[in-house]
Amino acid sequence: SLTRQPEEVFDIICKLGEGSYGSVYKALHKESGQVLAIKQVPVDTDLQEIIKEISIMQQCDSPYVVKYYGSYFKNTDLWIVMEYCGAGSVSDIMRLRKKTLSEDEIATILCDTLKGLEYLHRRRKIHRDIKAGNILLNTEGHAKLADFGVAGQLTDTMAKRNTVIGTPFWMAPEVIQEIGYDCVADIWSLGITALEMAEGKPPYGDIHPMRAIFMIPTKPPPSFREPDQWSPEFIDFVSQCLVKNPDERATAEFLLTHEFIGNAKHPSILSTMIAEAREIRESQAYRNSQQQQTNNAKTFAGGEGYSEATMRQRSDGTLVPSDLAADLGTMVINEPDADLATMKRHDTDPMDTNRPKYRPLFLEHFEKKDVNHLNIGAPTNGTLTGHNIRLPTDDNLTAEGGGEGALSFQRAFVEEGNFEFLAFLSEAELESRVARLDAEMEAEIELLRTRYARKRQPILDAMHLKRKRQQNF
Amino acid sequence: GGCYLVSPYVPTLVPPYLLEEIPHWLIVYSKADEELDHKLHWNMFRLSELDCYSDMLTRLYKQELQLIVMKYERYRSALLQEIERRRHATHAITYRAHSNC
Ligand SMILES: Nc1ncnc2c1ncn2[C@@H]1O[C@H](COP(=O)(O)OP(=O)(O)OP(=O)(O)O)[C@@H](O)[C@H]1O
Ligand SMILES: [Mg+2]
Repeated sequence: SLTRQPEEVFDIICKLGEGSYGSVYKALHKESGQVLAIKQVPVDTDLQEIIKEISIMQQCDSPYVVKYYGSYFKNTDLWIVMEYCGAGSVSDIMRLRKKTLSEDEIATILCDTLKGLEYLHRRRKIHRDIKAGNILLNTEGHAKLADFGVAGQLTDTMAKRNTVIGTPFWMAPEVIQEIGYDCVADIWSLGITALEMAEGKPPYGDIHPMRAIFMIPTKPPPSFREPDQWSPEFIDFVSQCLVKNPDERATAEFLLTHEFIGNAKHPSILSTMIAEAREIRESQAYRNSQQQQTNNAKTFAGGEGYSEATMRQRSDGTLVPSDLAADLGTMVINEPDADLATMKRHDTDPMDTNRPKYRPLFLEHFEKKDVNHLNIGAPTNGTLTGHNIRLPTDDNLTAEGGGEGALSFQRAFVEEGNFEFLAFLSEAELESRVARLDAEMEAEIELLRTRYARKRQPILDAMHLKRKRQQNF
Repeated sequence: GGCYLVSPYVPTLVPPYLLEEIPHWLIVYSKADEELDHKLHWNMFRLSELDCYSDMLTRLYKQELQLIVMKYERYRSALLQEIERRRHATHAITYRAHSNC
């Protein structure tokens, strides 16, 4: 019944959460009284591929994969209607309880997750976004894979348009390197997810995502920070997932026979955890509603208004690295080597569900433009005044200027890596430069991103025009 | 279009544009001053070609992104090394001072 407007068919009850590309709402199917989840994603143009993808997903029918019922277009938003999982995502539960999971809990969740993956992989479908945030639990504690397909498709579309790169922490090395990948890419992500459940965040989760992108393919596979806290079976399970060569990585089918999974307990062991999370969620919702009432009695008057407002905000504010911070709170970015097992020690922040919207660091630093300490010796450089150190390559560099030269300049810089000038800086200056690194890198990346967005725009416009013309014939 | 090469030996989901060489003019375009951009008449290209160029821009973007990140990686390690070096130096000095007593 795609002819009817979705709001005639569903009542939106409340917001369940927010991801990188949209928000998810709890909804009531008016006719049947069934509770559902609806993901609303702002999208701009032709989404034939996505629609196709959704119809493929609708054919999936497994108790371990979130069921997709259908989709609607509502103005510029795509509504994806799916099965409601009452206990939320595994990452929600961790965040709410401010607690990582025990080995038993992890085994139970991984067991269902593997069954879901086996189901998909047998049909040659790759999930592409396995992480604790996409493993949902129903109230009985059964785990289901969410965001299959559409998420990937959406990510691709968004990436094409805005040069957005997804969060890399769960990505298999071969995915990052873009050398082609297969179902076992999901198994790598599953291994990372296991570490995430055990330690509260994925490996490299505390470094800048852009740095992680280049570390995952080059470094040996990650493992537990404190191996003696975990059973040999669990460690072995994870190490079988985190094999860098995809040809040597275990499959879902194989891992289902692993001892760690064989010993997994019944989903009912998750019920205390689920109940605890629900209580916290309810008391938070109560507090929020009280605040809402005092602050702005009108906000929830119309189901449409508020959702639209939140979407807009997100759609133009999408920034590459922000997911990380949004996901994990403040602990992450500023404490590079924070002791992971101490999750409970940082009791107030790290997993707060009411986390404030992450404001990209670079915004503050953007105006200050002094940034380019890296153009050592270049006439425009302000950072090094006082120390007029001239590099041997200096003349080449200044001669080249912008254009193509800028690229070779960077390359030259990377290769030469002449940092002798650092010896002349005070220790305090060195420290503050280290502290500024991420923000400065972000600022530079943002400049790059906007340049490419602008370069791409005329191409997109031309494509849009051509598609329109094709439709008219 | 000639733009989409499908290799028989690579598994599914390889971005097709990866196997195509980026034309020089596109590289120049990606770096050129924006004031000149209007000179390119994109409408002259076929849809499949445009799609391909768009993907290639993504590839160029990622290449440049990598250069930036690597540059900072080098810079970071140089900074940390220098800080480390000084710590050692001060340690050595205090150590000598102690042993003098
Ligand atoms: N089917 C569902 N049933 C119940 N809650 C859901 C459902 N789907 C999503 N949610 C909730 O909404 C939140 C946001 O989901 P969403 O998929 O938009 O983002 P995400 O998975 O956190 O990140 P990403 O956008 O990268 O996938 C989830 O964390 C979860 O709490
Ligand atoms: Mg999700």
